[in-house]
Amino acid sequence: MFVARSIAADHKDLIHDVSYDFHGRRMATCSSDQSMKVWDKGGNAEWNCTASWKTHSGSVWRVTWAHPEFGQVLASCSFDRTAIVWEEIVGESNDKQRGQSHWIKRTTLVDSRTSVTDVKFAPKHMGLMLTTCSADGVVRIYEAPDVMNLSQWSLQHEISSKLSCSCISWNPSSSRAHAPMIAVGSDDSNVTYGGKVQIYEYNEVTRKYAKAETLMTVTDAVHDIAFAPNLGRSFHVLAIATKDVRIFKLVPLRKDSSSSAPTKFEVQVLAQFDSHNSQVWRVSWNITSTLLASSGDDGCVRLWKANYMDNWKCTGILKGDGSPVSGQPGALSGILGSATAQRSFHLIWSKDYKVHCLPDLIFLSCLSDYLYILFL
Amino acid sequence: MSSGYKPDILWSPHHADRYVICDTELSLYRIGPAGSSETKAGALPLSEETAATLLAINSDTPYMKCVAWYPKHEPECLLAVGQANGRVVLTSLGQSHNSKCKELVGKEFVPKHARQCNTLAWNPVDSNWLAAGLDKHRADFSVLIWDISSKFSPEAVPAEKVRLSGDVDSGLVVTKPLYELGQNDACLSLCWLPRDHQKLLLAGMHRNLAIFDLRNTSQKTFVNTKAIQGVTVDPHFQDRVASFFEGQVAIWDLRKFEKPVFTLTEQPKPLTKVAWCPTRMGLLATLTRDSNIIRLYDMQHTPMPFGDEVEPTIIERSVQPCSESIISSFAWHPSAQNRMVVVSPNRVMNDFTVFERISLAWSSTTALMWACGRHLYECAEDAGQGVAATEKDIATKMRERAQSHYGHDTVQVWRNHVLAGGDDPQLRSLWYTLHYILHCSQYTENVEQKQQSNKQSLIYSGIKNIVKSSSGTTETRRCWSGSDRQTDVPRYHSEERSLALQLCGWIGRGPDIDVEPFLKSLEQEGEWERAAAVALFNLDIRRAIQILNKGASAEKGDLNLNVVAMALSGYTDEKNSLWREMCSSLRLQLKKPYLCIMFAFLTSEPGAYDAVLYESRVAVRDRVAFACMFLNDAQLPRYIDKLTNEMKEAGNLEGILLTGLTKDGVDLMESYVDRTGDVQTASFCMLKGSPGEVLKDPRVQCWIENYRNLLDAWRFWHKRAEFDIHRSKLDPSSKPLPQVFVSCNFCGKSISYSCSAMPHQGRGFSQYGVSGSPTKSKVTSCPGCRKPLPRCALCLMNMGTPVSSCPGTGKANEKADLTRDKKLAQFNNWFTWCHNCRHGGHAGHMLSWFRDHSECPVSACTCKCMQLDTTGNLVPSDSV
Repeated sequence: MFVARSIAADHKDLIHDVSYDFHGRRMATCSSDQSMKVWDKGGNAEWNCTASWKTHSGSVWRVTWAHPEFGQVLASCSFDRTAIVWEEIVGESNDKQRGQSHWIKRTTLVDSRTSVTDVKFAPKHMGLMLTTCSADGVVRIYEAPDVMNLSQWSLQHEISSKLSCSCISWNPSSSRAHAPMIAVGSDDSNVTYGGKVQIYEYNEVTRKYAKAETLMTVTDAVHDIAFAPNLGRSFHVLAIATKDVRIFKLVPLRKDSSSSAPTKFEVQVLAQFDSHNSQVWRVSWNITSTLLASSGDDGCVRLWKANYMDNWKCTGILKGDGSPVSGQPGALSGILGSATAQRSFHLIWSKDYKVHCLPDLIFLSCLSDYLYILFL
Repeated sequence: MSSGYKPDILWSPHHADRYVICDTELSLYRIGPAGSSETKAGALPLSEETAATLLAINSDTPYMKCVAWYPKHEPECLLAVGQANGRVVLTSLGQSHNSKCKELVGKEFVPKHARQCNTLAWNPVDSNWLAAGLDKHRADFSVLIWDISSKFSPEAVPAEKVRLSGDVDSGLVVTKPLYELGQNDACLSLCWLPRDHQKLLLAGMHRNLAIFDLRNTSQKTFVNTKAIQGVTVDPHFQDRVASFFEGQVAIWDLRKFEKPVFTLTEQPKPLTKVAWCPTRMGLLATLTRDSNIIRLYDMQHTPMPFGDEVEPTIIERSVQPCSESIISSFAWHPSAQNRMVVVSPNRVMNDFTVFERISLAWSSTTALMWACGRHLYECAEDAGQGVAATEKDIATKMRERAQSHYGHDTVQVWRNHVLAGGDDPQLRSLWYTLHYILHCSQYTENVEQKQQSNKQSLIYSGIKNIVKSSSGTTETRRCWSGSDRQTDVPRYHSEERSLALQLCGWIGRGPDIDVEPFLKSLEQEGEWERAAAVALFNLDIRRAIQILNKGASAEKGDLNLNVVAMALSGYTDEKNSLWREMCSSLRLQLKKPYLCIMFAFLTSEPGAYDAVLYESRVAVRDRVAFACMFLNDAQLPRYIDKLTNEMKEAGNLEGILLTGLTKDGVDLMESYVDRTGDVQTASFCMLKGSPGEVLKDPRVQCWIENYRNLLDAWRFWHKRAEFDIHRSKLDPSSKPLPQVFVSCNFCGKSISYSCSAMPHQGRGFSQYGVSGSPTKSKVTSCPGCRKPLPRCALCLMNMGTPVSSCPGTGKANEKADLTRDKKLAQFNNWFTWCHNCRHGGHAGHMLSWFRDHSECPVSACTCKCMQLDTTGNLVPSDSV
């Protein structure tokens, strides 16, 4: 089902974030080496690094792409207390012919007094808007009033969440029935009080963001948060990386449109997995929000999928070092591939399986507590 | 180091697979893959993959306080052991055959006054030098630097001292140190500075850290601090030193030694070990007493000064290497990335790797990229066939369906389910429903022009509304055909019910009510049971038997069908017959739902058909058709309502038959989209709706927008364009306006507008100046003012794109496509320009120019016209 392959990243320190562009043909990475790289997918499906430059004077935590409608625009945020908007230009040099592109700094957002921990562009339909959050608990929403001039950004909103912020996520729904909404996660490590995830909603009447919901059941530090692509659904789904993977469903309760009170939600926990055995670091949704990937301190990437009954199950575990395992991973995944064709079995890459074959059965036993039996 | 008898670990500096555990004795272990031939049966498992084998034990040196491993390659297994009486003994583990080793092993270095040896450190460069830190003894020195190569004490040693050591003759006792430092103090820990091997960092009892230079021992730089335990230098950043005291770790920069660069958050329990990771820049691991957690501090290598304050970046994490059990000590592996071995107080060892935190992202095409440490991994979905359809993600399904033109078959609408893969019963039902709806509406359009609007909307409004409007129901009691027995099964007829049956697909359009064509088609598809059931419900028992016989004799036929036929033929309407009794009890054991409902029908009382109506394995359309035939006007709407709500709640597309393409239908589709995310089906289905009605629903618009957005993200731009065309045919309001007009520089009129005003304009006008007629203008001049159009930057001829498909002629029917192709000029002749520098020319010329050049062909223009738009350089992924 999935085959992993390694890419020589050539960053000098930890890579903190990877981000695909809208089409999935470009990718940006950022690292503790204070630099960013942009990668383009070549015709042979290989990733080529087309730009690499020093961006900040501290670790670069996150990088994100704007919708291509606004041009080739990236935003990054760093420990150096700034967020920067970058734009690719075709300049005087012949960079592009050498396979290099040129990115210039359009603006530096210096409002934060502490490390800027996350940066996200708002959904396209809201215009060119950028959100940052910082360790001192402030969420800032900027807007570029003129999409042609990316050096002008005005600070539109400042939301104080009172807790050190670690991550933000916009609700991607473009439905007019859903007001703009942003979820903020906190990495505050004091577990004695909950509410490490707060959800703010834009109010048309007051023209301000107001708290719509606080997830009180989340008491541990939150490392990542991700709204699922809405895809015309009537509710919102939010994945949270904390000491476990949690998936929340937010069903907006009907309200009369004239009221200025924020939307009320019916909050349900769809799933909660502690199989990473420790802190969960990141969560990410696929485009249809039918697959969730999570990574944790167990060094594994796990894939989750729901069946039609909203039961979430792990459908794959991949070792984080990607190193294919002793033996021939290709051959093995081939076996697994054909086996999954007929039976729904999970597939695991790890160093510790042993394979026993019978005429029509394959036992894959792992030293951990799984035993997989595959029918051919 | 090892306080009490808690075991400590030491990795071999040269053998990546060996380490020593020291508590009361020294045990050398080799680590290897678990289960390999190398590791023997007695190996201790360290992790899922590795196990350790005990190689040697050395218990020659009692009262061990600290151990240090000789840093040079040869002799490889030489260790210095500091004892409780202050002596330092050289010992070895299983390497006694080595001559140089033999020479050294057993050598003792004895201080003048006996006191505990706290710490040992080999000089990293001059490996003969061994520094020992001792407790305080009056005014004596606490740091002695021994030269292990010294054969004996060069100067006279007090005889009694030598005698005390008990090894007078061997010449192995050395009592004269090379250097003595730290008078009148104790030394708790020390380390050599890798930047200058003559320098030594000491941590003394007098609450200070001091740096001594052996070249001038009288000089020292020192700083007062409580943090005097466990000084250790960052191997990657040689000016950075960590030391600790109680629960606090201080990080020092030796270049600014006055105060710590920063201190880490204090732990409630005293620390027992602090160690820099040898394989990662700035990663410090700390352990507190009686704890099962190792805390990791990831320090960014340039602590940045912000104005006057200094605020380093520290990412703090904690790991639990062996879940709940207490850790006594740990040691980083010298070369393996982020790996360590931890040992518990009872000597249980554990091989453990600290994983980097992985960040990850999905691409729009379901590829997963993640970054682990400094490396990137991409995991693309294997396009491989053979993955069962039920396993596929809806994103994959939608991509495949888009490529097979799913939803675009407007003639044989039912075929769309085949385009979707043909394996989803709900989609199958949906497209058949839409097929029948469109058929019926076309038929009524043709036949009953008069009441068209009323009936037309009724067809789209679903069976639920159709049966509600039902009136004038007649009741008939028919005989079983093919049997002359009278039946008392009442059957209901009305115009609306016939319409419902048509929508169910049981009967064809038109006035005649004949199920025979339907039965034939079912037979063709091999749906024998279903065909038999339909025949039976039409009270044709003989036909049902005939179908079953046919089914049994067909290829791969089920011979059991003959048995069923036999059972069927014994039908009797006698209330208390054995047949009836057996049938009603045995039918529950039938696996096939259609056989089940056949017998249920035969054994039910008229009007009480719950066993048929609520058999959920039977297709909704068959149950509804059955209900339309056999339920009376009171029962029918109730049943249909109930079923509709059930379908709506479940988001079951079979229910579209009941709801039609109404608001109810949108509700149903909403719960289907909520459940599956399949906006593709939702968009195509709603487009089929009666014009304008459901399409105005914001939810439907939202699905369509989302689907178009998906196609764009996948770079299925051709598919998106096709979808838009398809959409504008069915929903004319969605037609976009022309995006670009080219206006003449002189008169300001749109040149294409003028073109269309003159429909007879010649196309093949390649020669200029031949025009004689005033009504015709040259294509190279503005049709409005006759001024010439701009010149092509390359051929320097006036351009004249023979544009426009003449919208003035009106009929935009697709059959004209072919002729239009011919009419429209070759793409090479198209008028094109760069929106940035506004230079341009014939498209063909420009393309060929930019094949070899990056800059604009106009002199002195450096515009890189072709590279301005990155998206423009992307190739649509759905073009061949």
